[in-house]
Amino acid sequence: MRKFFLILVLGFAATACSVTKPLYDWKGYDQAVYAYTKSGSEQSVSNLIKVYTKLIENSGGSRNVPPPGVCADYGYLLIQKGEIAKGKELLVKETVLYPESKVFVDRILKRFE
Amino acid sequence: MKKLLYIFIVVLVATSCAPTLPTKMATYKNLYEEKPLSILVLPPINRSTKVEAKELFYSSLAVPFTLKGYYVMPPLLAMEILKEESAYDAEMFLNSSMIQVGELFGVDAVLFTTIHEWTKTAIASQIRVKIEYMLKSAKTDQILFNRIGDVTLSTSMNTGNVFADLIGGMVSTALTQEIVVGRNCNIYTLGDIPAGKYSPNFGQDGQEPAQPKEFKATVSR
Repeated sequence: MRKFFLILVLGFAATACSVTKPLYDWKGYDQAVYAYTKSGSEQSVSNLIKVYTKLIENSGGSRNVPPPGVCADYGYLLIQKGEIAKGKELLVKETVLYPESKVFVDRILKRFE
Repeated sequence: MKKLLYIFIVVLVATSCAPTLPTKMATYKNLYEEKPLSILVLPPINRSTKVEAKELFYSSLAVPFTLKGYYVMPPLLAMEILKEESAYDAEMFLNSSMIQVGELFGVDAVLFTTIHEWTKTAIASQIRVKIEYMLKSAKTDQILFNRIGDVTLSTSMNTGNVFADLIGGMVSTALTQEIVVGRNCNIYTLGDIPAGKYSPNFGQDGQEPAQPKEFKATVSR
């Protein structure tokens, strides 16, 4: 009886307290994209790029892949800065990671053919 | 010993089932049926007096959906294209069919948000936002999720609500207070959406209770 009780308590504790890792670790994205939308200054762009790089190279989170949209937004930013080849590569990477983005991203890629 | 066990079980049942809320399966039936994966966030409809609320709030909408297991179209890129397509004003097509938009962007659903209120009261140093979130199918035009968050950020007092305090603390302090309150509203209100395909809980949360349609909370920082 006592054993059963203990198991019950342990089971409850385990289900209640298991801390689940979020799917993605967005790092400083919130602040960076906010500053970028608000000012668009040179500094906010380079800061956003820094965050994108971290999100791609050192993703973390339980899925451990770059979060949705990151490769595509970063790629597009690079294209606007004139780094076309690297930008396109990132746009393609988005469609590989997330095939559901293909219809949209392919339309963007067509513009730079 | 046996008695204690009974008490324990009774308490457990009482605490977990006390409010008889409908299940998520019943509340979000269309969403469980359609299982949308990709979402296009449309520019927020701003009915508040705060002019810049629209652009600033827009950038905060992708993250909470991704954390729930959905794919959100790249926000900065999507915004560019929406502007090109003269779709910056989402109010115009609030009642239109979204099927064509869905085909153009290759998405399963579109998200409308309406900022009903975004006010700051100097006296009590409070900021209040009231935001409506409506996820509409781009396949069938059905409403998949429709919730309203009404969140007040109080900068001076403690809420006494452990959960609210915890969430308030989760949002980075480097953001301005006005954007913090918008993000809190997202976390609260979108927290109820059933898990998407990238989540390990996908398809398993149907029996969980759904929260009421309108969320009201006060958070402190």
